Amino acid sequence: MSELPASPAPSPPARTAQLSDPERWVDEHGDYLFKYALSRLRDPLKAEDAVQETFLAALKGGKSFQGRSAEKSWLVGILKNKVCDHYRKAGRETSFTDLEFYKDEESDRFVPDGMFKDGWIHEVGPQEWNSPSASLDSEVFWQTYRDCSNKLPKNIATVFNLREVDGIESKEICAMLNISENNLWVMLHRARMALRRCLETNWFGKQEGAQ
Amino acid sequence: MKLFASLKTKFVIWVWNHTPSCAEMSWLTSRALEQPLTFKMRLKMRLHFVICAWCRRYFEQINFLHTHAPRMGMQLGELPGRGLSLDAKSRIKTQVRKNLTLAL
Repeated sequence: MSELPASPAPSPPARTAQLSDPERWVDEHGDYLFKYALSRLRDPLKAEDAVQETFLAALKGGKSFQGRSAEKSWLVGILKNKVCDHYRKAGRETSFTDLEFYKDEESDRFVPDGMFKDGWIHEVGPQEWNSPSASLDSEVFWQTYRDCSNKLPKNIATVFNLREVDGIESKEICAMLNISENNLWVMLHRARMALRRCLETNWFGKQEGAQ
Repeated sequence: MKLFASLKTKFVIWVWNHTPSCAEMSWLTSRALEQPLTFKMRLKMRLHFVICAWCRRYFEQINFLHTHAPRMGMQLGELPGRGLSLDAKSRIKTQVRKNLTLAL
């Protein structure tokens, strides 16, 4: 499945260290960076471009690194900036606000009228999650999480990833995407709601029977 | 016992009428992660939690996702899935090499 090489590609002895390093980067970190870029940009060609730009920018930076993990996080840092540049450009060119999505996503889970209007319908409201912390060590849980996140509309997923996964402050995201704070809040609310529901359906709701 | 039950119902209805609805509670749960709510609003939410297990769960679960989402950033590249194609790899390597010779 994964194309990650089992061992680092041997660098030809004739080449200088300088020349072999960037090519080794592509073999060692290319897949990791590509998966990251693909999940954020959702377009294989754009993701490839972003990875290439990352390596070229790294080349210009021309720093040497001591540890492999330092090298990796350095490259991921550059890629993150490239992805943000992409969002900035998109925010200038089109409207990033996506308020139509899931307008009524959870409305079927609330009591429609009467005395307890807008209260959760008990049978379909949030259910108890069984020891959620234990899920964090499961790779299958994170795959489910990724699949749920991929099901969100692109712009909704973008704001969610910037805010929750990258931990960027609201104001900074609003400036980057050129949207109002209120619109950001609404989009985040819908993303969280949809993601919670998806995880409950596809993971937490299935745990009791599976284990 | 009967008296207790009727007092309980009265309490639930009173709280329900004096706190946000569950739909509003879900919005406030998310909103609180972006900007602190007023003391009064936080108090109302607490009160609502007393009578509503569903909003309590929603609040806990949204906060759970908020706390642990950053781990997704680290997991992402490690999960099985499509990586760079061999074509793309050699194309990128060519570009990198080209830029290296330009830089030298």
